[in-house]
Amino acid sequence: MIEYLLIFSNATGIYGFMNTPWGWPIIESIHFFGLSLLIGTVGIFDLRLLGVGQGIQYSQMHKLVKVGVFGYSLNVMTGIMFLTTAPDQYIYNPAFQTKLFFMIIAGLNMIVFYLTTAHAVKTTPADSYATHPAKVIGAVSLLCWAMVIICGRLITYFRPPYHWCWFC
Amino acid sequence: MQSLAILEETALSIWLRESGAAFFSSLTLHSLSMALVVGINFAIAFRLIGIVPTFDLKPFLKFYRLHWVAVIVIFLSGLALLLAYPAKALTNPVFYLKFSLLTIGLIISAWLQNQIQTHKIPGIAQHKFFWIAVASILIWIGTITAGRFLAYTNSILLASRFF
Repeated sequence: MIEYLLIFSNATGIYGFMNTPWGWPIIESIHFFGLSLLIGTVGIFDLRLLGVGQGIQYSQMHKLVKVGVFGYSLNVMTGIMFLTTAPDQYIYNPAFQTKLFFMIIAGLNMIVFYLTTAHAVKTTPADSYATHPAKVIGAVSLLCWAMVIICGRLITYFRPPYHWCWFC
Repeated sequence: MQSLAILEETALSIWLRESGAAFFSSLTLHSLSMALVVGINFAIAFRLIGIVPTFDLKPFLKFYRLHWVAVIVIFLSGLALLLAYPAKALTNPVFYLKFSLLTIGLIISAWLQNQIQTHKIPGIAQHKFFWIAVASILIWIGTITAGRFLAYTNSILLASRFF
């Protein structure tokens, strides 16, 4: 696995770029930019579901999510650059594994939202509260993205993870 | 440099530096609150530029309360990180760049909040607000970038090693 990731990184020029003096911090900056877009759009929409910003149309607010998807795409692309450049620092790192877990939960939560409450939420009047299931979905989403940020910090701060991981 | 070394030797600085939980909590709170503040400013800027539809900004003021609470967390967690490694930040020009950009970004935030409160921002963003929103986005990108580069550009980690 690690070998294939490194082959991909070398073949695409990612490895070379990331190992230039400013490669890693530039990509980190773009990664955080994407994260801020995500929090500023999806996070704000989640807060709206929880009742903050009463008076703003849910349907209008939901259009912010498109910007969040762009931010998420930036995060995936830059995340792949980190992963393929130093795969051994990520693949075996429980913080990275936990981060992926919460990303998957956030994804599943989003699918549940669009399959169940999205239509009802978009037609809810601006001065009314969202339904209880929609609030739960918003809370789960916010929690997941907060955990993604926390685990993202853990990846670098506790690298290598062997001394703190209780389940490794 | 000597005063920085004295600061490093205080009990609080040593605790912030050597206690994993204290340093990590400060770092995480700094990232979370920074993402929230930058995110809210991006959302308002995108509305003014016209990337997202023209929703009424007045109710958006409720997000500003959260924004300013997050700003307080940014400063407190930033202060903790600064106290842990004072020489690392204070001898690095990038730290002053980040601080300046953050201050300008927050001044723009406060100004936009005032404009929304006093109904000076119409449904369709005027030319003036368009360029202020563009400036806001660029300043926040600059703040993020300077913040990330801080970790890679310091020449001194601890001042006490010189004495």
